Amino acid sequence: MRFRAKIVDLACLNHFSRVTNTIAKLARTCTLRLTARKLYFILSDKVANGGVGMWCELCQGNFFDEFQMEGVAAEHNEIYLEIVPENLSRALKTAQSAKAVKIKLTNKHCPCLRVAVELPSLSSSSRIVTHDIPVGVIPRRLWNDFREPSVPDFDVSIYLPALKTMKSVVERMKNLSNSIVIEANLSGEMNLKIETDLVCVTTHFKDLGNPPWASEDGCQSSAQDRDLESMAEACIDIKKLQQLLAGQQVNPTKALCNIVSKRIVHFVLLHEDVSLQYFIPALA
Amino acid sequence: CILYCFLFLLVFGRAIHAIARISDEFWFDPVEKGLALRSVNSSRSAYACVFFSSMFFQHYCWTTVSQPRQKEKQLSLPCKLIIKSVLPVFRCVNVLERNVEKCSIYTNINDHHITFQLLCKHGIVKTYNLTFQECDPLQAVFAKHLCPNILKVHSRLLADIMIHFPTSQEEVTLSVTPMKVCFKSYTEEDTDFSKTMLTEIQLNPEEFDYFQVGVDSEATFCLKELRGLLAFSEATSVPVSIHFDRSGKPIAFSLEDMVLEASFILATLSEVEKERPSQQPPCFSQQHKSKAEAVASKKLEWCENAPNTESAKPASPLPKQEIKNIPRFPKQEMTSREGPPMAEDHAGLEGEATESRLSYFYKYCIFQFYSLFFGAVSCKENDAISHPFHSLATASDTEEDFGNMQSSPI
Repeated sequence: MRFRAKIVDLACLNHFSRVTNTIAKLARTCTLRLTARKLYFILSDKVANGGVGMWCELCQGNFFDEFQMEGVAAEHNEIYLEIVPENLSRALKTAQSAKAVKIKLTNKHCPCLRVAVELPSLSSSSRIVTHDIPVGVIPRRLWNDFREPSVPDFDVSIYLPALKTMKSVVERMKNLSNSIVIEANLSGEMNLKIETDLVCVTTHFKDLGNPPWASEDGCQSSAQDRDLESMAEACIDIKKLQQLLAGQQVNPTKALCNIVSKRIVHFVLLHEDVSLQYFIPALA
Repeated sequence: CILYCFLFLLVFGRAIHAIARISDEFWFDPVEKGLALRSVNSSRSAYACVFFSSMFFQHYCWTTVSQPRQKEKQLSLPCKLIIKSVLPVFRCVNVLERNVEKCSIYTNINDHHITFQLLCKHGIVKTYNLTFQECDPLQAVFAKHLCPNILKVHSRLLADIMIHFPTSQEEVTLSVTPMKVCFKSYTEEDTDFSKTMLTEIQLNPEEFDYFQVGVDSEATFCLKELRGLLAFSEATSVPVSIHFDRSGKPIAFSLEDMVLEASFILATLSEVEKERPSQQPPCFSQQHKSKAEAVASKKLEWCENAPNTESAKPASPLPKQEIKNIPRFPKQEMTSREGPPMAEDHAGLEGEATESRLSYFYKYCIFQFYSLFFGAVSCKENDAISHPFHSLATASDTEEDFGNMQSSPI
């Protein structure tokens, strides 16, 4: 098992750094899956995570100038590592002006991702900052736990409002309640509602637009026959939603959510070279 | 005596914040030449001293009030203040500089008050009256000029290095050879590598304004205590000098310019320490008395002193003193940890600092540790520190200082 990568371009480095910051806000530990072409940050929707699932996919070519990996075996050319994303984002945080960043999988005292940042210095040779981030190697028999989740059979799919607005609304609501109801319909309307003994607060968004989803087998999905005004809703943990919104540092190219009534809300945030899917289950 | 001065707030405020990282209390020690602020942490493993010369202040006036019982020597007003009461005066130092036109400090010895008065914009006057405890000043004795390793670096560089360590990082090891310098997270044998992220920064000696490495060394010190100095040095833009020796000997971070001098002296872990796996992971500021007895290496040389703000005098008695004190203590009963050994006349101590004495020093450092505590000769009040102080011979040879030690404070 080998892994070696290098980033030289500052813009790519900042971009990758932002991705790790976002992931660090969403999960305390997660799985880093490395393949020849892509990197994935995965959180499987186990009960331990509160049923939350995350799937973040990057094309390595968009970030790394050099990328070499050898998986556990020839026919399984992949590496699965358990990692604390906060460590990775911290290592990259102070690399803002780096000449180069190299990441390597090593095994000195234990398996580590060694991040070596080459910084400019006043002298002839650069300053080198090395961070050894401990990782856990996930054996192949457990890889099935980390398969890509399928898009759920949703009732309503709708584009999200401006994330900044949504974030400030949710942050204020967080002070009042532990859970929040997201409801939306196929007419581009979305409501965020909280309800406590003392107060009910609802924020209404209009004209959001509904993304067109082509169904796989040609027949109309259940969403098609739906009454356009009818709201699909799910009540979810407000902290999870707030974490997702707080982690977004750049406006995505596309941001939408799919609601399965009373079951799950599936958020999809697409940037040019990164896609992030986040699943928040409805509270019982 | 009366102290009355105006001052550069940002620098002064940062100094207070820096000292606050060391301890909850500090000594406010005005002398004729200027004002010294000193602090020591509870485990005696970190010492900070910031001295502002009278030229730092717009106006500095210090007068003594003669006391009949005292000898002719001019008195100082050494007193101890609780940091928590002073910090609010200098909270948000950056904002302060914009709003405050003048800051003056008055002391009134009779009713045990120090008054900080901030004259702000729009005619607002903020007055803080703080009570102090009288307490003889304490001072670490550290022969900087004898350190084989000296690095001098711009404060910006030091901050740029330390920023790579997480704020929770307790201990950092500075490792030097004549060819390279490296700051790294401290690890020991029973560190759980699978759970800890380790950071290491390698530097070229060329990056330092001055680089002298006489002996390869790995000095491990407490980063948390140093962070205050980093902010302070950035405010003053004065380069920071690092003096150190082999592991186990203290490391001093100091800066000096025409109007101020600051020294932060931190104990370092010794090699002896590292070899003993049963030791608890050290965190200097949390050292308790019982652990302190077991841990050999957290030792700094202390002395009761007349107000003398230069902690490293190039006087020959100093190095010998470090060694000379050692043989004394084993002669006493080790059981009598409570009783303070009397301060002997320094001139009476004989002996040269030989190699054998040095190794004796290391071998017995376990037992020495407790004995090397500094302390006032007598302290009226019960200090926060539970155990009584020992006193040691001082650096000074003069009769007067010796006499000053023996007398009780006012």
